[in-house]
Amino acid sequence: MYKRVDKNYRIVYNKKVQSHYFELKIKVGDVYKSCSPGQFFMIGVPGVFLRRPFGICDADDGEGGCVSFLYKVVGKGTKILSNIKSGMLQLLGPLGKGYDLEPLVNIIVCDNDACDNSNNVIVAGGTGIASIHFLASRLKNKSTLYYGAKSESDLLYLDNFRKLGWKVVLSTEDGSKGYKGYITDILSKQLKKRDTLFACGPTPMLKEILEIARKKNVLGFASLEEKMACGLGNCQGCAVKINRQNKMICKDGPVFKVEDIEL
Amino acid sequence: MKTDLNVNFAGIKLKNPVLTASGTFGYGYELADLISLNELGAIVTKTITLESCDGNLQPRIAEVESGILNTIGLQNIGVRAFIEGPLEKLSKIGVPVIVSVAGSSPSEYIETAEILSMKNGISAIELNLSCPNLKKRIICHDLRLVSEIVRGVKNVSKLPIIAKFSPLVTDIVEIVVVAQDSGVDGVTLANTYPAMAIDIETFKPKLSTFKGGVSGACIRPMSVRCVYDAYQSIKVPIIGCGGIMTGEDAIEFILAGATAVSVGSSSLVSPKNLIKIICEIKDILERKNIKSVKDIIGIVNKSLG
Repeated sequence: MYKRVDKNYRIVYNKKVQSHYFELKIKVGDVYKSCSPGQFFMIGVPGVFLRRPFGICDADDGEGGCVSFLYKVVGKGTKILSNIKSGMLQLLGPLGKGYDLEPLVNIIVCDNDACDNSNNVIVAGGTGIASIHFLASRLKNKSTLYYGAKSESDLLYLDNFRKLGWKVVLSTEDGSKGYKGYITDILSKQLKKRDTLFACGPTPMLKEILEIARKKNVLGFASLEEKMACGLGNCQGCAVKINRQNKMICKDGPVFKVEDIEL
Repeated sequence: MKTDLNVNFAGIKLKNPVLTASGTFGYGYELADLISLNELGAIVTKTITLESCDGNLQPRIAEVESGILNTIGLQNIGVRAFIEGPLEKLSKIGVPVIVSVAGSSPSEYIETAEILSMKNGISAIELNLSCPNLKKRIICHDLRLVSEIVRGVKNVSKLPIIAKFSPLVTDIVEIVVVAQDSGVDGVTLANTYPAMAIDIETFKPKLSTFKGGVSGACIRPMSVRCVYDAYQSIKVPIIGCGGIMTGEDAIEFILAGATAVSVGSSSLVSPKNLIKIICEIKDILERKNIKSVKDIIGIVNKSLG
């Protein structure tokens, strides 16, 4: 059932992509084949006690199989990690259950007033762009990316999305790029009933998105996060209420159906 | 020389002295793809209660220097669901299964233990008398309650009964002696230490319940002290627990008086650490030409005469 592996792997590179953001690429060999968008790895950082969860940003067959992670330097662990340029790191993964890549809506019989095709709408806030980036490359129907961040310097991978064929809608809190405000302000106006939603970002943003999706009866998926110690379901640190039941973000998620999430 | 790692804990034959710590290894069978579960000395399950328990609100975990602060709140599926699901899978692994039990009253402990004792596949019951995360008081702060629970459980169960205590008691010796006099077959020393961490950005506690229990490398010397003090005062065997990350750490507990050790936080970092610790114990004892791990239990006490 599982294809998760706990092993030391070689760093291909760990480089700054923009301001406080780094991209870490690890050679994992065939393990890349079992990685799907929304899944994550626990990465051991020397000098801090617990491993840290990192969402997969990309996985491909380059250099014999690699996975990439995008992270922002926010605390002690990521600070130490950003200074490691080569050598080995301990990784456990891929872990968790990712996004469902099959369309949710197309199977519904078209009625007269809503006969347009279902579109995949992907939404990212902040470093949530990491798992959305991986997802964007794997979804067949490419429609619109809604991407919000604090400032222009926090917006990443825009060219990659455009090259893949996504229409990109941006917002920044300071107005330095795109719409000034929150991305949910635009999403609430533009999201259509037959769209399928995929979202990853900070909890306040996800709460807003769940509200919008419920009002418009839109189906989809959201990736959640909480502090976790093990990534395997053992510490039970990352419990969340899904359909009134306790579920573990690390094991049962991090991606859940929008209509089941209680935030 | 090949060192024999077998130990006998309260009548349970363990192929080595390394156990999982309750609450850190799920129900025990879920990680079969990552490590060989049958290489473990025994599996201690997460704590089971009479009825299912939702646990505490988020956030439940905060990292501290060399350790973890947690307030899980005994989230579990309840004893009946445990018997129907996890227990059957656990008993097929081929290592002794020790079920951790808690309750909000003596009668809940006793009833849960009684239900478990009617089932096959359980080698012992560990009474969690020390979880600091229930809103009510910690049971082991009341000697009368400890005695009532141990006696009550012994009355309804033929299984070996192990009592796990909080290290935060006025006198660890007093409490283990009471447990022994009440009929307990072994003790686990110790659980997490009541602790707190505060976020200096938000000015708020890092855990939803404000306070939680701290575990990990940072607590080890304090728990070694508990084992050392208890060993001098009781005859029943001790499971040492607290911040064991390596074989050296485990041997330290054994030298202080532990017959077995349980490993928690280290297995959260990586489950493979459990197997690594077993290998390291063997390597160290072989290097020192020790015939059996049993030969070094508590010898730090003996060397002091």
